[in-house]
Amino acid sequence: MSFVQLLFNGFALGMAYALVALGFVLVLNAVNAVNFAQGDLVMAGGYMGVAFASVLPVPAIFMLPVVMAAVALIGLLLSLVAYFPIMRRPPAAVFISTIAFGVILQNSYRLLFGPEAHAVRPLFESGTWELGTLIVSKQAAAIIATAAVLMGIQYVVMERTQFGRRLRATAQNQSMAAALGIPVRLMIAATFAAGAALAGAAGLMLGNQFLVHPIGGVNLIITAYIAAVIGGWGSLAGAVLGAMLIALFQVIVSAYVSYTAATAMLYGVVLAVLFFRPQGLLGRGEARRV
Amino acid sequence: MIRWLTAGVNAPLLVVCVAFGGYTVAFGNPYSFYVMAIAGCYALLVVGFQFIFGHAGAVSLAQAAFFGIGAYVSGLLGIKLGWTFDVTFPLAILLPTALSVVVAIPVLKLEEHYFALATMGLGLVALLVATQWVALTGGMNGLAGVPNFIVFGFEIKSRFDKLVFIWSLVGAGSLIAWQIMRGLYGLQYRIARENSTAAMSVGVNVSILRFVAFVLSAAYAGGAGALIAHQIKIVSPQNLEFAVMITCLTMTVIGGRTHVVGGIIAAVVLVHLPEWFRVLQDYRLLAYGAAALLMVVIAPEGIVGALQALRARVLPEAPPPVPKPRVHTVRRSTVDSGDFLLEIQGLSKSFGGLQAIRDVDIALTPGEIFGLIGPNGSGKTTLLNLISGIYLPDRGRVVYAGQDVTRAPAYRIARLGLGRTFQNINLVGDMTALDNVAVARANLTGASLTRALTTLGRDGALHAAREHAVHLLAAVGADDVAGQRCDRLAYGVKRRVEIARALAIEPRLLLLDEPAAGLNEAEQIELSGRLKALTKDGLTILVIEHNMRFLLPLAERMSCLDDGALIASGTPDEIVSNPAVIEAYLGAPEDEDA
Repeated sequence: MSFVQLLFNGFALGMAYALVALGFVLVLNAVNAVNFAQGDLVMAGGYMGVAFASVLPVPAIFMLPVVMAAVALIGLLLSLVAYFPIMRRPPAAVFISTIAFGVILQNSYRLLFGPEAHAVRPLFESGTWELGTLIVSKQAAAIIATAAVLMGIQYVVMERTQFGRRLRATAQNQSMAAALGIPVRLMIAATFAAGAALAGAAGLMLGNQFLVHPIGGVNLIITAYIAAVIGGWGSLAGAVLGAMLIALFQVIVSAYVSYTAATAMLYGVVLAVLFFRPQGLLGRGEARRV
Repeated sequence: MIRWLTAGVNAPLLVVCVAFGGYTVAFGNPYSFYVMAIAGCYALLVVGFQFIFGHAGAVSLAQAAFFGIGAYVSGLLGIKLGWTFDVTFPLAILLPTALSVVVAIPVLKLEEHYFALATMGLGLVALLVATQWVALTGGMNGLAGVPNFIVFGFEIKSRFDKLVFIWSLVGAGSLIAWQIMRGLYGLQYRIARENSTAAMSVGVNVSILRFVAFVLSAAYAGGAGALIAHQIKIVSPQNLEFAVMITCLTMTVIGGRTHVVGGIIAAVVLVHLPEWFRVLQDYRLLAYGAAALLMVVIAPEGIVGALQALRARVLPEAPPPVPKPRVHTVRRSTVDSGDFLLEIQGLSKSFGGLQAIRDVDIALTPGEIFGLIGPNGSGKTTLLNLISGIYLPDRGRVVYAGQDVTRAPAYRIARLGLGRTFQNINLVGDMTALDNVAVARANLTGASLTRALTTLGRDGALHAAREHAVHLLAAVGADDVAGQRCDRLAYGVKRRVEIARALAIEPRLLLLDEPAAGLNEAEQIELSGRLKALTKDGLTILVIEHNMRFLLPLAERMSCLDDGALIASGTPDEIVSNPAVIEAYLGAPEDEDA
């Protein structure tokens, strides 16, 4: 496989990862806590795609709005049972509660769909185009286009709408936002829903090539987590870039060495980043107030 | 003994444990012995996990990795080389321990979220290695044929004997864990976990405590892994999987993060759940997840914590007796350190683009009370944080008692006898005022892991620390609240408890950050008198204060800080009449015209 081919494949994977990481960082910013169920929410999107396809055999792109809405509801549920009851406790409590929620999701999948892996339909259709030596899979192209549109929507909503300003104000300072009359809890719930919707979309995209299975979310939460670390904890643009770097790294190293080596080396790189630049590759240092 | 039985929920716990243990032995069959022995392996895993997750308060996701590695070490050495358990067991503990030491160096200084990620990554890599290195590990399917426990020539064959063997080790491990944490050494973990800044300010080396907890966790996990390998007679990647981590986490959350017996009970119950409720077989992990979520929400302290809270509400017990005050001075009285106790030269610090402190010089002579004033945001607290080692300066030098401490970590500066209080109080809310002060004695009394392990009966160091703490609380007029939790104290009282805690390290220099804030006038006068009395014993005090009525009669010399730089120094009278000081506080006259 040519290097350009690898870059293209890595880019497509990175776009899907970026959606997962974006959703992760949105929640992280809003509540200053890690949503460990984010990877399992990705799988929820994939399983929804599998379930819908058995009822209505259409290309996955038509299911996208329904799947995103449905996974958003799961995200809402997550905030209701695993975040709001313990929102005043230390972040570690939310950490544990979202791990627990993820375990519940994983085992629900296993009971509903069995332990085996399932494939989601392609977004439009399978097959490839050949552009000279470059082989463009139609699914990869569809992932890039769809993810780009979703990221664009996410950007416009966050930056250009009153709703987005309220979300950002809530993420920055909850008490100040509350003092300005912003319904803080509603905004947090909306953030959980939005983060889950992005995860669901990613699940629908990734589930074709990489399949969905009950514990497939574990690797994805690590990916999102690492993307957030590399991109500077809490930066949306950084998370997208981080996701892209991880995908390229995985695709290229897997091609030349092995997937195992790619994973191990990625972990090594992350440790190095954390050791030398605890604020992330792109993050700025910040002083703690005593 | 009687007091122990009536305290908390000890008596019912004892009854339940003895009854269940007795029932298992008397009415069990080989299969129930087998299950109970597996529960023992998990119990040991959980008791170990409590060190890092509970006592150090760090979410480590590497416990399953250490468990699995321990299992592989003991199992593979048994299968491939025929080594016996008495040799492989220590090795199974040693390898995860060594690994944890290596990993701890880059990982332990990380903040909470990063630490969890890094430890999770360790588990991931361990799992990958185990599944890929087929020649050694047998890959996904693992290897069967792990030999029985063979200890000094005796082969443990029957399931009942294995049960007894494993649970003796659980008992020994639990006893060691309890022994480590029950005294003054263990008390340090509470302040380090709840408020690391405060912990460092009294000389607690938070990093080393976390390190010890992490390594102990790994050691216990390795031991527990070795046990399960010989119990189920197979080594496979299953022991390393995230499901084991989830199980361990759930057991610890349910049993209570720091309660040894709670953790053991949770392990026994969760291992038996699928046995008791056959329907749970398929839903086991689902039930674990739901149970963990439920516990985090409704009973964050676990079952034992919840029972204790219930008892405290239904049948409140008398608060533990507060010992009689007694002075246990440890530090030698003043060592001659030249003319100045503290000398700051050209100290500067900026945060991003903000120059918080610029080129500050201050020298304190032994025994004086020095006042530092300045408008809000002028950098007073930042200066205190620079002196006490919480921030590192960009330029300049801090010399304390003849030693350059510019780059020394906060806990070392505290150990040299530099005590401080905080503007926004840093006490541990769910500890008594007594223990908040007593814990500051840990370093002076030489509390250590080895001493904790070798202490028999009552921890004399803890008792002495508490006696001294009562004495100090009395010195600041807060001895009447010694037995109360700190989050229930009034604001002014909390300030006084903080001063007592700072005094507990037997400081030669005390840095006070707005000690009079929130005190009424009578309390201010009282505090002023107490501070003056302290300097009679040779203590030097640096006070940050806005309240001139409090500070002017107290301080012998003063400096004024404005916009990070010293603008005036001198006697209180000189300072209050200094035009630059007046301008800094009230604004320049022309400002008023504008």
